[in-house]
This record gives sequence, structure tokens and C-alpha cells, in this order.
Amino acid sequence: MSKAYFNYAGKRLLQAIVVILLSYVFTFVVVSILPGDPITNVLNNPQNGFTPDEIKEIIAAQGLDKPIPVQLWNAFSGFLTGDLGLSMRTNRPVATLIAEVLPSTLVLASAGLAVALLLAAIIAYGTQFLPQRFGQGLLRGFPSLFLSVPNFVIGLVLIHLFGFQLGVFRVIEPDSFWATLFAAIALGIPISAQIAEVLIANLDHESGQDYATVARGRGLSQMRLFVKHLLKPSSLPVITVVALTIGELLGGSLITETVFGRNGLGSLVQRSVSTQDLPVLQAVVSLAAVVFVVVNLIADLTYPLLDPRVKLLGTQQRRPTTADDSSLPISKAVTP
Amino acid sequence: MAPQDRLTTFLNRPSSPLLRAEGLSVAYGTHRVVTNVGFELGRGKSLALIGESGSGKSTIARAVLRLLPATGHATGRVEFDGEELLGLPGRRFRPFRGRRIGFVPQDPGNSLNPVRTIGAQAMEAASLLDEPHKALRKALVLETFAQVGLDNPQRVYDSYPHQLSGGMLQRVLIGLAVLPRPSLLVADEPTSALDVTIQKRILDLLSKLREELQISLLLITHDLAIAAERADSIVVLKDGAIQEAGSTATVFSAPSSFYARKLHGDVPALNPDRYRPLREPGFRHLDARREKTPKIEVRGVTKNFTVDGKVLTAVNDVSFDVQAGTTHALVGESGSGKTTAIRLLLGLEQPDTGKIAVGGEQVNGKSPEQLRSVWRHLQLVYQNPFTSLDPTWNVEKIVREPLDRFKIGTDQERALAVRKAFADVGLGEHLLSRKPAALSGGQRQRVAIARSLVLKPDVIVLDEPTSALDVSVQADIVEVLLSLQVKLGLTYIFVSHDLALVRQLAHTVSVMQRGRIVEHGTVGEIFDTPRQPYTRSLLESIPSGAARFARTQPLQQRQIFNEEKIA
Repeated sequence: MSKAYFNYAGKRLLQAIVVILLSYVFTFVVVSILPGDPITNVLNNPQNGFTPDEIKEIIAAQGLDKPIPVQLWNAFSGFLTGDLGLSMRTNRPVATLIAEVLPSTLVLASAGLAVALLLAAIIAYGTQFLPQRFGQGLLRGFPSLFLSVPNFVIGLVLIHLFGFQLGVFRVIEPDSFWATLFAAIALGIPISAQIAEVLIANLDHESGQDYATVARGRGLSQMRLFVKHLLKPSSLPVITVVALTIGELLGGSLITETVFGRNGLGSLVQRSVSTQDLPVLQAVVSLAAVVFVVVNLIADLTYPLLDPRVKLLGTQQRRPTTADDSSLPISKAVTP
Repeated sequence: MAPQDRLTTFLNRPSSPLLRAEGLSVAYGTHRVVTNVGFELGRGKSLALIGESGSGKSTIARAVLRLLPATGHATGRVEFDGEELLGLPGRRFRPFRGRRIGFVPQDPGNSLNPVRTIGAQAMEAASLLDEPHKALRKALVLETFAQVGLDNPQRVYDSYPHQLSGGMLQRVLIGLAVLPRPSLLVADEPTSALDVTIQKRILDLLSKLREELQISLLLITHDLAIAAERADSIVVLKDGAIQEAGSTATVFSAPSSFYARKLHGDVPALNPDRYRPLREPGFRHLDARREKTPKIEVRGVTKNFTVDGKVLTAVNDVSFDVQAGTTHALVGESGSGKTTAIRLLLGLEQPDTGKIAVGGEQVNGKSPEQLRSVWRHLQLVYQNPFTSLDPTWNVEKIVREPLDRFKIGTDQERALAVRKAFADVGLGEHLLSRKPAALSGGQRQRVAIARSLVLKPDVIVLDEPTSALDVSVQADIVEVLLSLQVKLGLTYIFVSHDLALVRQLAHTVSVMQRGRIVEHGTVGEIFDTPRQPYTRSLLESIPSGAARFARTQPLQQRQIFNEEKIA
């Protein structure tokens, strides 16, 4: 790859690190500096039954007696080395708590994304090839329909229909293959809508372009035109959309986990919010920020590799002008 | 068609035409754009469909190739080699495309897939050949690239479209069209997006390939001069119907329809002296130049731009004078520095070195506030009237804006000035309340001219004022401009790449190439005795076949100041 690409990648990497840093500091500051410090609130709440000595001990253990910048530094250096502190509710390391539930959430989120991509591809393909009278118009309505139904409703319907009525999966075994699949479908449907919308709009746009007409004039079949010409330029912007839906995928998986009774990041967050377990929340929020930034970084870095038109900053090639049409005079170019 | 009929057409009598259209009509939904068109194109011959925008010429080309958009519907007969095309099912028609009928599109810049290499797309065309070996097919592609005058075929093969110039891309597209050896080539305005010198080379290439490969050519063009030079026969279209058809010589020497005669009169290349009476006063001003100081003085002006750390000299040591009441043309291809030169003149950019004066007042080195007084005397009419007028304003407000800006006169005086400017450009007052979208291209450009007139300027900079317009509309606008020059003694700077048009209306000419003025002189000197090879190559790009049909006498002037018909 060119030097310009590495320059660009370096810059984007630096930006990503700054964003992660800022988001960490922001959550930290919101939690510890704003008045009505929730940590001491929890400790001082007589209902929780902490004795003053215990309070001191906990505060010392959490390092809350040190000045704020020192606290921030300790927490952040811990975050970088994987030490996320201790959960206030369970007194276990936050890292362990997250590690226990993360695989389940990752499986659900990636399965959800796969469902979303597949569904979007099927819908978009249908809008291009299904004849008008076989419901092409109906197909075009699907994305807005999908977007307007919240995924917990889809989840409940799926559980009722396939779990209780048809018995495809047992509701009390939420980690079984079929249960996971239906959870992924519930999660993937609203996300597929956004991807399908972009894909359909791009396919419509690209197939109206001159080059598509010219390629048809060259004798290409509709199918070859779609596969060879339209698919790539139409799919490139989808990378960006997918990267942006990662946040939704995480948020959606929290809801879907609750609906399907899965023990994942979602249920951990839910428990931690209700007990104001701040170290866990801080860790989860920061982790989400890291995931979001990293995914978008990957999207930004792959884009220039896939689209030859993207000009990277500082590498602008001069667009050739007529002066460069150095073609030989025609008489000389003729091969005898 | 009965089987035995098909057999007889298959035996294909030598006299039968290659392409024959009969009663061809095309409608988009219920809107009919082509009505009952018929023509014949013989083997190895060329036929030009000419007409202005909206005449249905491109629609006919697309109907022949069955590339109409989904809403378009063609009826009638189109026979290719004796076989009816329109009624064929899609599966049976597809083998015709590419293999037997090649297509060369209008805009080479958008006609190749931007995210695939030229080679990948060329191999698609090559797959139509009966050649099983991929390596041999590739060799054929490279050979064809060389044949169409691309001097580094392998580099072209590996390039993406955005890495090549428009002229090179059009060569590639022509190469892809002729590669499967079709017997008919449909070329839809193949040169209208290209510079003039490139235009000539591309047309030469098409003529050469037609001869070498015995290909028939269906040429779609708005440019009568090109049709006169390149086609054996001509079909003149207007509003989707045929006005006139026949051999090129007949249509040009004795046009029988009113429309063909009017088109003929409007084409600059065919009528170099059309506006001679209107230009006389300017030539008299020019003859008296020794006694007066010039209206515009440009001395040793240089402008550099820094792009990616590299210094690019857009305008290099440019000097010229323009006498009051005359038209000075800046000609050159894209990238020659014309646009930068006028931006410097208008004070929109500051020159690095040199001096610019308009009416004795220095333009360069002034702040925008100081320039306001200069701008009152210096106005610009922009290239594209479709984008240069605010679509949300009505025409009266658009024309009046300069008066409001410079706080000139009372409300009533401003309204009067607007009406006077409107009358000057030949627009009716009933149009004042319209929005630009409700006007035709020609009316819009008249509005733009009216807007530049209300301040009573001495100098108007015309940046390709007619390049977005049809020839007949162009003729109207040119006539308005020249009449105003005579009436108001205006000085014009006219920027154009169209040499035939420059010859019709300019008094003096500067030829620009790569930021320098390579030659300048009176219009007679430049066009009759060019000294520089570059000027000569530009002049040669004016379709020369047209010279046979050119008139040397000025046409009778048309009445242009009557109100335009409402579109």
C-alpha cells in the first residue's frame, strides 16, 4: 500500500485513540465530579447497612479518597491493562464479570448482523429482479415496515409463535441453537431495514447510470450486470452503514437478551443499573465506546482499499486533461 | 413473419439496407416523444440523425438498441439485416447487442464502471468473440486499443476510468464497441463532452474504423457541421418528427423544409459572416485604436496555484488590450487558463505579478470594497443559465438585485430600469413574475444578460454564454449580444472553445494554451493567416467538410426583438 495510505491510517488511528480517551474521561467525570456523588449516596444509605468503618474501607479499596486526577489516572491505567476495578455489588473484578457474559452477547450480536445482512441482500436483490406484478413494490415497503416495529415486539411474537405454539425451541433454554437463532432474527430485522434501504437506493441509482446502460448495450445479461457491475459500487456505502449500526446492535442485543432471558451483557447492565454498580457501568460504557470506534476505524481503513475513486488527503492525483491525450496521430497508430 | 419470408430475407439481397426503421414511435408513459419516424441505412454507409435537444434523436438511438428506460415504449418496425427487432423477446434480442450493433455513448466520463478496471470491462466485450482462450482475447483487446490510437494499451488495460482523460475514455469505448466486429455502430453524440481538438480526432477515428471494418454508422448529433462532414445522408428531426431527409449534399445545398433552412442559418461554422453588419462599428473602433487608450489593459499577468506542494502556473505572463466597443475572444481548450484569466480580470483572484486596468482604473491589489465601483462597470454572464439563477427568486427580483445592492435610484426608477433591460434583451414584461424554472434555456440566458445590463456597465465578461444552449437559441443570444453592443457601445470579453462562434462575433482573438497566450490578433489575422501550429490545430477542428456548404454572405437579419413565444 502506498505511503499516503499509511499516513491516512496513522491519522485515523490517532483520532480513534483520542475519541476513546475523551469518552472515558467524560463518563468518569460525569460519574465522580457531578454533585450528588452516587457512590457515597449508596454507601451512606442507611438501608444498605454499612458501618462507618466499612465505608472507609470500601472508599480506600476503591481509591475514592485520592484527588480526582489521581483517581482518573488510576482508573484509566487500570482500564488499559485490563484491570477494571471491583464491582460494588458482588465485590468481584469487573473484568471477570464482563468476561463471563461477553461471549453470549458477541454470539448474539454477530448472528444478528449476519441475519440483517442476509435479509437486506435478499430484499435488495428482489427489488431488482422481481417483476412488478409479483410484488416488487411490496418488497420495497419492507424496510420501513421493519423499522417501525420495535425489536422487543418482534422478539415476543417470535417466542410466542416458535417457542410456545410450534415448539421449535424451548424458552427455558435460551442458549440453545434455535433460541439463539430466533433472538438473532429479532435483533437483525430492524437493522436489516437500514442496510436494505441504502442498498436499494444505491442499486436503483447505479442501474440508472450511463455505464450500466452502456454495459447493457455491450450485450450483458441482467444477472451479469448486477453481479459484475452494480453490486460492488452499491455495496461500498453499506460498509459505513454497517459500522454505524454497531451501536444499535449492542443496544438492541441488551433488549433482546432481556426478552429471550439470555444471560449476557444486557442482563449485567440491567442489574448494575438497578443497584447503581458504577465500576461495572463505567467499564461497559467505555467498552462500548471502544467497540464502536474500532469498528468505524476498520470501516474507514477498508474503504480506500475497495474503492479506487477515493482520493486520500494529500495524494490527489491530477485528473488528466486533454493535454495528456498524447495518443498518436491515428495514421501512425494503425497496424498494417 | 412466415418461415419462408425469413429465408428470403436471410439470403439478403445486396441492395437491402442494413437498418430500416418504419413508422417508429416512442412514448414515455402517455407522453409521445417520437412520432412515425422512418429511415434506411445502407451497409458501410453513415446516416446522421440531427436535431436540437428534445427532438427525440437520442430516443431513436436507444429504441434501436432497445435500451429505453422502463417507462419508454417503442412501436413500429425496426429491421436489422432483415430481422424485426422491436418484437423479439429479450432473450433473442440480446445477442444483437454488442455483437452486431455496437454502441458509443455520449459522455465517456460516466460510461465506464468507476470501480472496475478498464481491462475487466474490456474482457466483457471480448467475451462476445468466438475465441475460447483468455490470453488471446486479451491480446485482441490490446490490439484494438492500439488500433483506436491508445499508445500504451497495457497501461490503459490496468487503469481505472478516473485515471484517464475524456478523450482516452472515448477511445476505449469506441474500441469496446468495435471489438466484437459489429456491422452497425450507433454513436450518440460521441464528441459533445470533449474538447474541440479531441473531437476532431475521435471523429477521424470513427471514419477510419468505418472504412477499415466496413461498419455502418448511425450518428446522433446536434452539430450540423459535424453531420455535413461525416454523414452520407441526413435525417432532420424536430419534436420527434422528421422535418427533412435525404443525402447530405441535397439537405445542405437545397434544404426544403423551413426548419432545416433555419438550422442551417444558425450554425456558426456554416455562416462565418452572418453578423457582419452588426460587427462593423466594432471594427471601426478597432481601426481608431491608436488615438484612444484601450478599455481593458492586461499587462504581464501571472497567477500560480499551489496544489499538493506543486506550483501550477494557471496564467503565465498574459497581456492583451481591448478597445471600447469591441469584442475580444479568449479561446483555448479546457485547462488552458481562460477561466482563471477572467477571474483575475473580475478581481475574484489576485494576480501574483502584472497589472490589470479596466477603464483606466486598476483592478488588481484592491479590496472587495474598493472593487465595488469597478464592478459597476464590469459584469459577468455565466456559462450555464440553468444553474446561475436563484431558482427561488422571480425574474424581476433577480434582474433588480444589482440595483438594490448598489442602492441606485428610487423604487420606481429601479422598476423602470428592470423593464428597460428586459426590453433590451427582447423579453416580454409578462415574464417578470416568473421563476427561472418556468423559462426556457434561451430565456434564462436573456435574463442573465438583462441582469448584467441594469447597472449600465461598459464591459461584460461572457463566459461561454451559449455552450449550454441549442444552436438556434445560441443564434438568438448572439444576435441579442451583438445588437446591444452596437446600441450601447459595450465592450465584451468572450470566453469560448467554439472557434466557429468566435469567428462570427469577435473582433480580436487571443489563443491560450497552458496558461500562455500563444497567438493574438484580429479575427481576420487569426483565422486567415494563423502562425502558430496550435492555432492551426484548433482551426482544423472546425468541421472542414462544412466549408463546402458555408455561406459567405450575411443572412438577412431576423426580427429578434419581438416577444418570445411562451414555452
